[in-house]
Amino acid sequence: MKHDPRTDAGLHLSLSEISALSARATRGAGRNWGEAEEASEAACWLARAGLDWASALLEVLEASNDEADCALRAGMLLADSAACPKTIAVQKGMMSCPCFLLPFVARMAELTRQRTLIEWGDTRVVLAPGEAPRFDSPVRIAGRAEVTIKPVSNDNTPCPNWLQTHRSSVTASQHARLMKLMMACTVPSSASSLTGAGALGGDND
Amino acid sequence: MSCAGLNPKPQASAFRRNPNEVMRLARMGCSHPTRLSFLRQLLRRMQAEGWHFDRPIWDIDTNGVGRAVYRAIGPVRTYSLVAFAHDLPPEARSDRVIATAWDATFALFDGTPTPADLDRLAANVPLQEAGRVSPRELSLSRANRSVRLFDHVLERLAKGAQPDAAMLLETGYLMRTTAVYGSGKFGAADRSTIAQRPELSGPFQAEMLSVFLTRAFTVDLVEHLARARGGDQAARLAPELKRGLGVGNSTGLGMAPFLIRHPVLLNNWMLAREEALARVRAQSSVGQSELGEFLTALEGARENVDLWASAHDIQRVKLTDLKDSLERIAAHVAQGWDQTAPHPWDDLWRWGQDALALEGQEALLAAMLEPHGALIDGLGECMDADEAAHFPIDGTMRVGDLHAILQAHYGWALGTDYNERSQCARFWYVSEDKLEPRLGQRHEEPGTERELPLDTGRQAAALWQVLQDQPDDLPVAYLLQAHPELRPALRRAQITARHPFSEIRDNLIAADMLPIDILRCKLAFFGATRFDPRSDRWVRISLFQGAPYPEDMHRGANET
Repeated sequence: MKHDPRTDAGLHLSLSEISALSARATRGAGRNWGEAEEASEAACWLARAGLDWASALLEVLEASNDEADCALRAGMLLADSAACPKTIAVQKGMMSCPCFLLPFVARMAELTRQRTLIEWGDTRVVLAPGEAPRFDSPVRIAGRAEVTIKPVSNDNTPCPNWLQTHRSSVTASQHARLMKLMMACTVPSSASSLTGAGALGGDND
Repeated sequence: MSCAGLNPKPQASAFRRNPNEVMRLARMGCSHPTRLSFLRQLLRRMQAEGWHFDRPIWDIDTNGVGRAVYRAIGPVRTYSLVAFAHDLPPEARSDRVIATAWDATFALFDGTPTPADLDRLAANVPLQEAGRVSPRELSLSRANRSVRLFDHVLERLAKGAQPDAAMLLETGYLMRTTAVYGSGKFGAADRSTIAQRPELSGPFQAEMLSVFLTRAFTVDLVEHLARARGGDQAARLAPELKRGLGVGNSTGLGMAPFLIRHPVLLNNWMLAREEALARVRAQSSVGQSELGEFLTALEGARENVDLWASAHDIQRVKLTDLKDSLERIAAHVAQGWDQTAPHPWDDLWRWGQDALALEGQEALLAAMLEPHGALIDGLGECMDADEAAHFPIDGTMRVGDLHAILQAHYGWALGTDYNERSQCARFWYVSEDKLEPRLGQRHEEPGTERELPLDTGRQAAALWQVLQDQPDDLPVAYLLQAHPELRPALRRAQITARHPFSEIRDNLIAADMLPIDILRCKLAFFGATRFDPRSDRWVRISLFQGAPYPEDMHRGANET
């Protein structure tokens, strides 16, 4: 997605743009492509859920590269091992930006076909297979918090359906920070790449 | 939707081609459009549903500057192509993504635009990548004139004469698009917005509709300018000449990674086409009408190859192969084909496998599908993909099972020494200036540390290497914990196990890899003809050439 300086008041982004921007920003932040793909998917999930995906992603990417503390890495482990006989132990104590765990806990719920509750601070979210998240409280996006994740079998309160379409905006500041990260995974054009990029001969024919 | 829901034709299973044969770049780079191509699907739907068309706004001045709106009115919804015509100085005319001005710019609007919508679009669409559109827009595109032909047609029509038919056929279009963006680009509607609409659920249907209406605009524009110049003596373009014009498209590397980054979608395209071929090969007889339509399709292919010119060395060889193959097919069909064989179409196909170059084999495929609409057109319904459903990794899969998948589907990748210079000569990256995919020379250019994960073969081989030291019963979730860098390759392998046509089975970073092979495969699925490489990573093609125009659709015109 190209940056448009005329809209510095903020941008409304499509899911496609969120996906591309998030993947490239994650890679630009020094994460591997596997993490970049997961971060992109997670950012889109948060956007569809109406949450501040950009703040959450930036907090994950701009935090120290501490593996145990990273919600992206913890989320990947949780989701990967959700259906394994023995779930891989991840730190579910203090974690930065627990909000970023939500898409992965949703995947856990899907894989185990079990309603799952995630709580941190005053935030309480229920994730049911195939349904949109049910926010039982305002969702705290930023900061570190103690996280609890557990299946819930006695929760019969309906969860909402996903909206078919959505829009999500980012502030000018968020956009600039994500773009800066993204540009770190791009390559300046070289004479060689420019030579081969177009038609041999002109286009004014 | 997936192919799983379609009524299977079990008798066809014995006639299916192996992905190891189909998914090689050399063969994919010989792909021909078929009746399953996306533009053909669009035309069939519009005809079957009785769509009608109008042009509520034509506000173009005598210099060819202004705006126009074309509406496509279906049974449930209306879509509008909003076109802006510009005065472009010749020195500014460039087909490349670095261009900042064009002869015409377009947006496909969801519904009928209000004057306020048009003003908003007028402020943004001419800027293309530098502007923003909204979720009411389904595509954003631009086009440049084929100057020589456009001027010739204009000059002749203004004098009341018709243009030179040979010149028209040689170029094939008045204008060529240089980008058609859809699926959420630059603020447009996401794919999910339209995926549930029957008329747009197939791949690239919104983009095809945009190009279909753009074609009408190109002819209207040249006729309008001819009237402005010639007054009452000006002629309109003769219908038979007009029908032979399509819309050109000029495109480069940007669209190549799409097929690699959307493996499930690629699988569904290829699988539908392969299932169609298998169904035809499984037929136990050749009906007279099918034979007639097949012969017509062959004749059309022979006429097309006579008009299909290219200055590119590789394409010239291919065209020679194609011409030779089509002559062989015609001779064999006339004299050698045993139409009483238990499976006569299969008999013909097997002959072609031995007798024809790849170009000829794939052309034969397209011709064999042509008479069998009732048998295969339904497969078009399963060419889209719910890619999100295939994103999660199955962490419970055992290393032994993953090992077996790699053995079964990645043999093409595992024996390669990726340290050898020629096997890793290229790297894919995103350009800093236009944020577009590019292909660099690994040993000559900087930036390899920022490489895109399109080196699918090399990644599969790295995964294979790590698996050798792991116990067979280990769930791959544990493997990924130790080796997160293997995640993309592992996901692709799991997808490939369920979708055997999802992976291009060639080294995409090798020195001899030709990006135009990827482009041709994708463009053939669009329905493109006259594939004409202008370098090994840049092509021109034509869309909708020979197809009806909007005003022909209600007359029961044939779709091609």
